[in-house]
Amino acid sequence: MDKQLIHFKIDGREFQVAPGQTILNVAEANGISIPTLCFSKKISRTTSCFVCLVKDAKTGRFLPSCSACPVEGGEYDSSTEEVTDMRRTALELLLSEHQGDCEAPCTIACPAHAQVEEYVRAGRKGEFLEALKIIKQRIPLPMSIGRVCPRFCEKDCRKNVTGEPVAINDFKRLAADMFYDTYMEELPPLSGKKVAIIGAGPAGLAAAYYLRLGGVASHIFDKQPAPGGMLRYGIPEYRLPKAILDKELAHFTEMGIEIECGKELGKDLKLAELASGYDAVVAAVGCWKPSSMYTEGEELAEQGIRWLEINNCGHTGNPGRTVVVGGGNTAMDCVRTAIRLGAPEVTCCYRRTEKEMPAEAIEIHEAKEEGVKFEFLCAPLKIRREGSELIMTCQRMTLGEPDASGRRKPVPVPGSEYDIKADTIIAAIGQATDAPEGFSTTRRGDIQVDSNSNLMIGNIFAAGDCISGAATVVEAVAGGRKAAVSILRMLGLTDEKPSRTINVSRGHWQKNNLTRENLVFLRSDVSDAERVQLDLIELTRRTSGFEEVSRTLHQSDIMAEGKRCIECSCTAKSDCKLKKHSETYGASTTRIGGKKLDSGYDSRHPAIIQDRMKCIKCGICVKICKEVVNQNLLSTKRRGFSTEVGAAYGNPLPCSCTECGQCIVECPVGALDWRLKE
Amino acid sequence: MTISDKIRKVRVGTASCGLAAGGAAVLDALRAQAPQLDIDEVGCIGHCYAEPTVEVITDAGSILYAGVDASDKAISSILGLGDAYRFHIPEARAQKELLKVLKLAGRINPVSLEEYMANGGYGALKKALDNTPEWVIDEMKKSGLRGRGGGGFPTGMKWSFLAAKQAEQKIMICNADEGDPGAFMDRSLMESVPHQMLEGMLIGAYGTGATRLFIYCRAEYPLAIKHLKIAIEQIYANGLNKINGRELEITIKEGAGAFVCGEETSMIASLEGRRGTPRFRPPFPTDRGWNGWPTSINNVETFGNVPLIIAEGADAYASVGTAGSKGTKLFALAGDLEFPGLVEVPMGTTLSEIVFGIGGADPEKVKAVQTGGPSGGCIPKELFDTPVDYDSLKSLGAIMGSGGMIVISNERCMVETARFFLDFTHRESCGKCTFCRVGTTRMYETLERIVAGNGVAADLEFLETMGKKVGKGSLCGLGQTAPNPVLATLRYFRHEYEKHVIDGQCPALQCNNLVDVYISKDKCIKCRLCIKNCPVNAISDDFVVDNSKCTRCNTCIEICPKKTIARAKKGECNCG
Amino acid sequence: MGNYDYLNEIGKEPGNLIKGLQAIQGHAGYVSDEGIAAAADYFGIAEVEVEGVLTFYAQFKRVKPGRNKISICDGTACHIKGSTQILDWVSTELGVKPGETDADGNFSLETVACLGCCSLAPVMSINGKIYGKLDRKNTVKILKEYRQS
Repeated sequence: MDKQLIHFKIDGREFQVAPGQTILNVAEANGISIPTLCFSKKISRTTSCFVCLVKDAKTGRFLPSCSACPVEGGEYDSSTEEVTDMRRTALELLLSEHQGDCEAPCTIACPAHAQVEEYVRAGRKGEFLEALKIIKQRIPLPMSIGRVCPRFCEKDCRKNVTGEPVAINDFKRLAADMFYDTYMEELPPLSGKKVAIIGAGPAGLAAAYYLRLGGVASHIFDKQPAPGGMLRYGIPEYRLPKAILDKELAHFTEMGIEIECGKELGKDLKLAELASGYDAVVAAVGCWKPSSMYTEGEELAEQGIRWLEINNCGHTGNPGRTVVVGGGNTAMDCVRTAIRLGAPEVTCCYRRTEKEMPAEAIEIHEAKEEGVKFEFLCAPLKIRREGSELIMTCQRMTLGEPDASGRRKPVPVPGSEYDIKADTIIAAIGQATDAPEGFSTTRRGDIQVDSNSNLMIGNIFAAGDCISGAATVVEAVAGGRKAAVSILRMLGLTDEKPSRTINVSRGHWQKNNLTRENLVFLRSDVSDAERVQLDLIELTRRTSGFEEVSRTLHQSDIMAEGKRCIECSCTAKSDCKLKKHSETYGASTTRIGGKKLDSGYDSRHPAIIQDRMKCIKCGICVKICKEVVNQNLLSTKRRGFSTEVGAAYGNPLPCSCTECGQCIVECPVGALDWRLKE
Repeated sequence: MTISDKIRKVRVGTASCGLAAGGAAVLDALRAQAPQLDIDEVGCIGHCYAEPTVEVITDAGSILYAGVDASDKAISSILGLGDAYRFHIPEARAQKELLKVLKLAGRINPVSLEEYMANGGYGALKKALDNTPEWVIDEMKKSGLRGRGGGGFPTGMKWSFLAAKQAEQKIMICNADEGDPGAFMDRSLMESVPHQMLEGMLIGAYGTGATRLFIYCRAEYPLAIKHLKIAIEQIYANGLNKINGRELEITIKEGAGAFVCGEETSMIASLEGRRGTPRFRPPFPTDRGWNGWPTSINNVETFGNVPLIIAEGADAYASVGTAGSKGTKLFALAGDLEFPGLVEVPMGTTLSEIVFGIGGADPEKVKAVQTGGPSGGCIPKELFDTPVDYDSLKSLGAIMGSGGMIVISNERCMVETARFFLDFTHRESCGKCTFCRVGTTRMYETLERIVAGNGVAADLEFLETMGKKVGKGSLCGLGQTAPNPVLATLRYFRHEYEKHVIDGQCPALQCNNLVDVYISKDKCIKCRLCIKNCPVNAISDDFVVDNSKCTRCNTCIEICPKKTIARAKKGECNCG
Repeated sequence: MGNYDYLNEIGKEPGNLIKGLQAIQGHAGYVSDEGIAAAADYFGIAEVEVEGVLTFYAQFKRVKPGRNKISICDGTACHIKGSTQILDWVSTELGVKPGETDADGNFSLETVACLGCCSLAPVMSINGKIYGKLDRKNTVKILKEYRQS
């Protein structure tokens, strides 16, 4: 009996099996993982994807393990670098013809990778608590971010192809406002570990939040009298009222997070003591040092970030004629604050043109509405005082060649000097990190960390503006979460890895000139209505005080807005084998390029979507329908690169297919899938 | 018109090349002028460059006329045994060629069983039937015959596998799907002596116990199919298909245009009425083939060799050739040479003897030869001393293949040649396996970029690594060999690739995006033909080509009576 | 529904499907949806499968070809001898791209892998008749003859 068994090795492990078993069968049964896309136990083998290759060490040939049976004395490699490389190449070749959106562009664009499509879908259905839960998986400060986010997601929203993007951020604001006092996360028991966090701004708060969700307590120290960091001291009241911020911060205290204010690192706290007294330390000290204009008389000007800080603590009074130098969001906060303080004339001086301004378009627009004047192509040379007046000598600029940032570089126009008179001049041209002692820094002066884990050294981590330079709240919370996950991993409390995800994309709506034909509509009720309008307070109220500039939108409006969402992401994003194996094997979506099939998706069937652009031509569905279901509704057509799978004469599948769906279950990539996303 | 009384018989070559060259008109003219003569249509004598050919048989021997037409001058010379149009086989070819398989090609009426039998036809079958099937298999093994279709698997061995099978039905298939674009050995043999390969099949059926015979032939070969059909009817009528006590059915199946069907498992799928996609082996066709029955597939030329082996004996057959490759081989010579055609030489003849000697190619102008078609590779002139056999060609990165041999001159760009082959294979890929379907496409796109002048140095690296991976990661021979033309040109002509991607130049001046067209004014006679014929009005009234408009269609170059218009390296022409 | 009685001359076993499709194309010049349905019915094979087989093979046409079928050989020998230019010339002369039929239904143009007349390269065939050793002059002349007829 024993003589009939076949003796062979996979990766040096000895096996003896009865004839007729494939190498893949044996490997699977013995815990050796071999990736495959085209293999299904339900049907005769297709031998098409070649991702399951193993090497026959004796002949040097590569064999598809799904089809090759071991021979007596055979030795097969399944984990050598050569085999891995062949599998990776097979995956990359498939990726090079595979078209779809593993993830929706909005989620990819969001620095925190919030599941945008999912919470917008919940909002569309009126399930705002569900939406909030999804949001808080990545955004622990939805009330604040729902008000101040520059909306990276909306800039990449595919709705831009046909009109204005979905008003995504307003979903966060509404969901958070609705449940701020009733919602509480399910908190796991504390593990006994404790982390010190320096800085109660967005990054520090986010780190504390995700640590707590992982069962770790934290103690936040902040040098300011009240928590919030830039949210409190940088962002003006009219954008983020302090009352709202206090509500949001109260939630952190309710979660048991300790926040201790008036404690400054280097003064009241010593890094070494924190590092030894706590299981880990997170430095989230922000980016507070104003940049210099390098002009004579600079000391006569206010520093934008400081000026905002003072105004956030109690108003400075009417600044008189005000000139703000700079074109970023801080400059916009300054001009609009000056207006609200009663300044009779507010001018923003920027050395490039409006097109190059880093500030958000909406901020510029609203500033203009409020009466701010803009002086473009204007750079300060020197500032002097003449009596009670400040005189700023400026120089006209013109735009030259694009610089490293891609924006056209301003070049001075000789002999174009002129003077501007003002009572207050505010320099809002950027900030730098003021790294506390004991931190290693980058050339720019930011704290240096490992970019995968945010680890600086030992058990000291950093997050937020202090490692990136001045950025946005949403980027800060993303960094805080990254530090928290790294700490949880270090403490052995999570196995979440710094994920290597791949993303196949149908392209950027603008850079790739997408048209309506490129969009995939799974729902038939995707609305073409106009974007919901902001609910701004009257202009007179805006220019006369610090009342919040816009109101939270109404539920019904947001639900209607949700109908505008196309829901771009792949229906199979959670169970796509191509994505899974590509991530495991480090396959790149861009290493191999080339033409892709232009035959589009087919959504004529009421319940099933057939997307030939995703199809990897494995032929499983054809065989399932023929061999298992005995229906024979699908066939492989044409050949070579143009090979495609479809029903007869290019017709959709019959409606009766809804009751079977076996091809959908077996499709490795979601080329055949239910149209509904849940 | 005088008709010589010495003429006993006239043969006019009306195989495909003969017909294309005007053979039918010559035949009609001869019949009209000399209705009393025995004027016969025959196949191809292999000297395609000389078509149409006419052979006049006299008591004193045969006289060949070549390059004839239906004119009175030609016809009267033929019928009067005049000197005009007389043809003598070039000395070099007469010396090197050894006509064994092609001995009767062009010498007998293809559809005359009598003529075939009068020349010894079906003698081998009779001899085989007088011996045991085991004897046939032994002879085949001893002969050392290897499959002529490309793989070079020993035929006797394959037959012995089939012979050993105990099954109700056993199938023998003749692969006549000559898919290599540039090869026409099989077509010529089927058109000229259809009975020869059929006799080989019948002997094979006897030796292996095959119960059913198929011929899978390209639909593009209508004349071959016609002749085969007639020959099969003759076989049936004369009971030649009574083998092992059965009347064997011989079925011709016309292929429908798929190169991959030359692959045995694909061919079987196609014969079963399915898409011609290959499957993983084992099981091999000799275990599970057509409709599940044990099956052996051999190529036309292989079957064409069988009657010789049986008739003259394995030892005599094996006395020709090299240690590992026995017998003769047919080659379809084409491309840049003086005497294109079909040749038969002993295995081991060198490439230079074939290309320069028989083909009359100019050693100064030739740079390489491509053997094995899209699955093969190019061999540079420097290596033409290589004897042609299975193993030495393989060691050079080429393959014997079915026997297509394309001579490539200095005026051809090797990158463009590689692009051409990849264009073919990527379109012929069945689309089943990832490496072949996508890999060959990506390689093709890269080559397209390079010949369009948009290549970068990294493309060469990509072609090399991807080429090797496609070879290793493909299921069937098509994918495994598809990268060969690229890998071989990269091996021997890397400098041409580098010129394209680094200097933006095509040394052979073939790649349109990398050349300019210019008119050298000193010889120009201002006839304005170029201006008038330029389809895009790219030539100015003072005879300057606007190269931004010019599509490099070559119309002006072809039409210029003084040959003053030429291609030049981009930006380097003396356009003034 | 057209008359497909001629299929009855062919055995009904599925292995003859390609032969059946060749017969349909032989009669109609191409295989229409109706032709697919007829073959599917005759051989007892699902229509979608017949379509799969049909579209695999280069020989089969799904659209009606022109009265004059021009096939430009792009085999290796012809390619080496300049078939690309021949194709260009014919295409420009007739205003048809490969794979297309002109508006009058007069000419359809295609490239084929090899006509097996490599020694006469470059060659083309019109309605099955082979023309060899083409250059611009004789190509244009040959086309003219078909245009007039």
